[in-house]
Amino acid sequence: MKEYITKTGSGNIAVDDTLLTKGIETTAGSKILSGFVPLFSADAVERAEKAGYTVAGKTNVGEFGLDLVGEFSYYNDGDEILHGAAAELIAKGEIKGALEVDLNGAPRRAAALSGTDFIKPTYGTVSRYGVIPCACSGEQVGAAAADAQETKKLLTAIAGHDGKDGTSLPAESYDYACGKEIAGMKVGVITQLFDTASEETKAVIKNYAEKLKALGIAVEDVSVEEISAAQSAWQILMAAETCNNVSRYDGVKFGYRTPNYKNIDELYIGSRTEGMNLLTKATVLYGSDVLSKGRYFTCYDKALKVRRVVADKFKELFKAYDALLVPACGKTEYKKYDIGKAFETVYEESAYTAVPNLIGIPAMVTGGVQLMADHFGENILFKIAESAEGTDK
Amino acid sequence: MKYEIVIGLETHVELATESKIFCSCGGHSNHGEPNDCVCPACCGMPGMLPVTNKHVVELAVMAGLMLNCEINRCTTFDKKSYYYPDLPCAYQITQWFHPICTNGLVEVETKNGISKIGIKQIHMEEDAGKLVHDDWSDTTLVDFNRTSVPLIEIVSRPDFRSAEEVLAYLEKLKSIFRFANISECEEGAMRCDVNISIRPEGSTELGVRTEIKNMSSLSSIERAIKYETARHMDALERQTEVLVQETRRWDDIKGKTFSMRNKETAADYRYFPDPNLMPIVIDDEWLAKIKADMPASPEEKAAEYRELGVSDKEIELLISKRNLCDLFDALRGKGCAVADIVSWILTECAGVLRKKGQVLDELRISADKLARIIAMTSSNEITRGAGRKILVAVLDNDVDPDKFCEENNLAAQGDESLINDVVKKVIAENEAAVKDYLGGKTKAFQALFGGCMKQLRGNGDPAIIRTQLENELAKLG
Amino acid sequence: MDKTTLDGLLSLNELRLTEEETESVLGAFDFMAGKEKIMDGIDTENVEVMVHVMPMNNVLREDVREQPFTRESLLEGAPEHTEDSWQVPRLVK
Repeated sequence: MKEYITKTGSGNIAVDDTLLTKGIETTAGSKILSGFVPLFSADAVERAEKAGYTVAGKTNVGEFGLDLVGEFSYYNDGDEILHGAAAELIAKGEIKGALEVDLNGAPRRAAALSGTDFIKPTYGTVSRYGVIPCACSGEQVGAAAADAQETKKLLTAIAGHDGKDGTSLPAESYDYACGKEIAGMKVGVITQLFDTASEETKAVIKNYAEKLKALGIAVEDVSVEEISAAQSAWQILMAAETCNNVSRYDGVKFGYRTPNYKNIDELYIGSRTEGMNLLTKATVLYGSDVLSKGRYFTCYDKALKVRRVVADKFKELFKAYDALLVPACGKTEYKKYDIGKAFETVYEESAYTAVPNLIGIPAMVTGGVQLMADHFGENILFKIAESAEGTDK
Repeated sequence: MKYEIVIGLETHVELATESKIFCSCGGHSNHGEPNDCVCPACCGMPGMLPVTNKHVVELAVMAGLMLNCEINRCTTFDKKSYYYPDLPCAYQITQWFHPICTNGLVEVETKNGISKIGIKQIHMEEDAGKLVHDDWSDTTLVDFNRTSVPLIEIVSRPDFRSAEEVLAYLEKLKSIFRFANISECEEGAMRCDVNISIRPEGSTELGVRTEIKNMSSLSSIERAIKYETARHMDALERQTEVLVQETRRWDDIKGKTFSMRNKETAADYRYFPDPNLMPIVIDDEWLAKIKADMPASPEEKAAEYRELGVSDKEIELLISKRNLCDLFDALRGKGCAVADIVSWILTECAGVLRKKGQVLDELRISADKLARIIAMTSSNEITRGAGRKILVAVLDNDVDPDKFCEENNLAAQGDESLINDVVKKVIAENEAAVKDYLGGKTKAFQALFGGCMKQLRGNGDPAIIRTQLENELAKLG
Repeated sequence: MDKTTLDGLLSLNELRLTEEETESVLGAFDFMAGKEKIMDGIDTENVEVMVHVMPMNNVLREDVREQPFTRESLLEGAPEHTEDSWQVPRLVK
């Protein structure tokens, strides 16, 4: 069974297993990638190393990062990793930070549940070169650390233009300093996401809102009717893109090959069936269906249009609000669940995390809550988080 | 009943670029060693992202312009999914929704006259790898060298009515693309899918259509069309079988088409826009630049050369390859006479290459250097033989003509008294030839001239030799 | 979603499911059918699709050849390979 770090060696950051590390086995939590040793490192990993960080090792993820709840990795060995492996190490103080791929909010949830910080930056600001791909149109590499200051430092190290990623934005680097005064900012709480959360989670949000008010920030409720449609749209886009991206794992070129085959079809079907879990399979099958001839225009095309409507809606919202305050997950505690229900469970949980992936806006988890801002609004998020953390002390 | 054949073509053409369409590997369809032009992306490994090769876009636009297409100012890439071992990611990046060129027209000439063939669209896409079936190990070997090599696919309208038109069209595409350096169009670099149906003459409805996939030689295409036409006719006339819309392959050895497995043809390719590739916008400025860089068509060039007095046979040789036309034009720009240019390219250069086992296609020479050789010979600074020696040295080692001439003492001997001595000596030693000449056999003059030139090691100034020889012989007569 | 359509999808994706898994996946499809309907509430008449969330045009590279990876290193992790090629069961008999 694959070895993951549980304690720091000489390094100070962890890299999640959906990011390639040269010479170190990288599997995205899947059996089908067992034995896959990348020939190059992700751009984010190289940048972090250039900035003086050292890689302590790899951390486990739910297969391909699809499992938002974080349980279903082939390398899970029976243990639950409900909180996310990297976030736990940060919470324990074993490592300074972590680089994690945010496909569907799994690292945001992990940070919220372990009381650490994580930021999914604006789409295109951190290179996706070296990300094991699922949904290229919305996944981003983010930075995790114990507090907002350290998170900002790590994000500053990894963000910037990369010619090897055709969606990488042109800025060579980003300065997350915020010129705006904290007092006088305005934050909206999306009622649709607040109302569905557990009482404990509501309390966490309320508590955070109080802290913001104490800092002179105006907090008010805001209704965003499009939230559920956004969640549905992201599931459709994510499943379709994932289906397409994981189709490359077939037992021919690298990774796992079934021992039982006599012809190419048996090789393909055996390797893929044995190599991927039920959640991945359900995602692939659903994603394949929404792209099929009869369904493309009513479903996939519709989701691409809903994406624009949602993006426009949030542009409007950010004219009125500096940031939006929402839960990162519906509950404060999770129990082990059956993989036969994983697809539905993950979907329900994605309500809180889908929008930033769908429309590329930055989202930060801090103090157990999630803050969202407009594109390039990371500086606002860091400013609020740092100020709120300051009041903690 | 009389029947009419209706054919449409999908022609894949490999573009002449340095690197692949979405990664920086080299490689093309006829590469020697398997898998020596591959990177992690070519073999389906996760993590690398596609970035489009700019030159591919420019060549596709050029192809569109040459086939009279509309150039779509905003064009995008899509993904097409299916499993086959030669497709490492199980998807191909192609253009489904917004192809780069649409609505073109090509005129082709056959013995029956000129026919107009509509072009529905041209799109860019990546090629798949190659499979080699190995008898020894009873396995199939996968070679990804051709993976992601840039292609354009030219989709014609169903405007062909005979195999002859199809062949004329393909020959025309080849000549245009080779001439414009869009594609080398070597064996295997141009492949066709042929859609064919037949219908009673005069009918406007299309018959049952079959598609014959992936043929690269013109003779296979011709034979496959003839076979398939006969099969359709038999089915309609004699009810030999019921025709179904299907994809077939051509077996060149058996001389037959055969139906492909159902699984391959029933595929739903599930096209969707590739989120990794941003739209390509071709604005007026870029389009103007591509147009400016675009060479004249072979026809335009031929007309231009005819005007200059070049013979049809010579024109045919020159316009077979763009590099020869470029050289011709450059030499003209440097003031060389048309007759000299034609003879130095088609006689002298071709001769030197032939000795090296090469053809004119492979001619790579600096126009400056060849112009200098032509200038030196036409001004009698050197003899034609010396010029030839310099040409060999330029082609072999890219030497400087003037330096090489000086170092090897190739300048024509213009010393009149030296030449006079030689002329007298040759006359004295060749009594028979002198007698012939004086007896009226003018050909003998050439022998004597050659004798003088030989004595002067090929470097004698031909004009001076000629005059002196004539004078000395006149004294004897 | 019915069993026949699902079989078609399984074939397209080179996958197999146990009976129990089939039930689970059919359940997921039913579940999503309901979720897709939510999108009907959004008026997308005259709305352009949004493929890229941060729009850019003409991200292109120059036509330059590079070869930083060796064939040996790429073949190293292959389940089955010869000296120079990946290997699969013979496709054409």
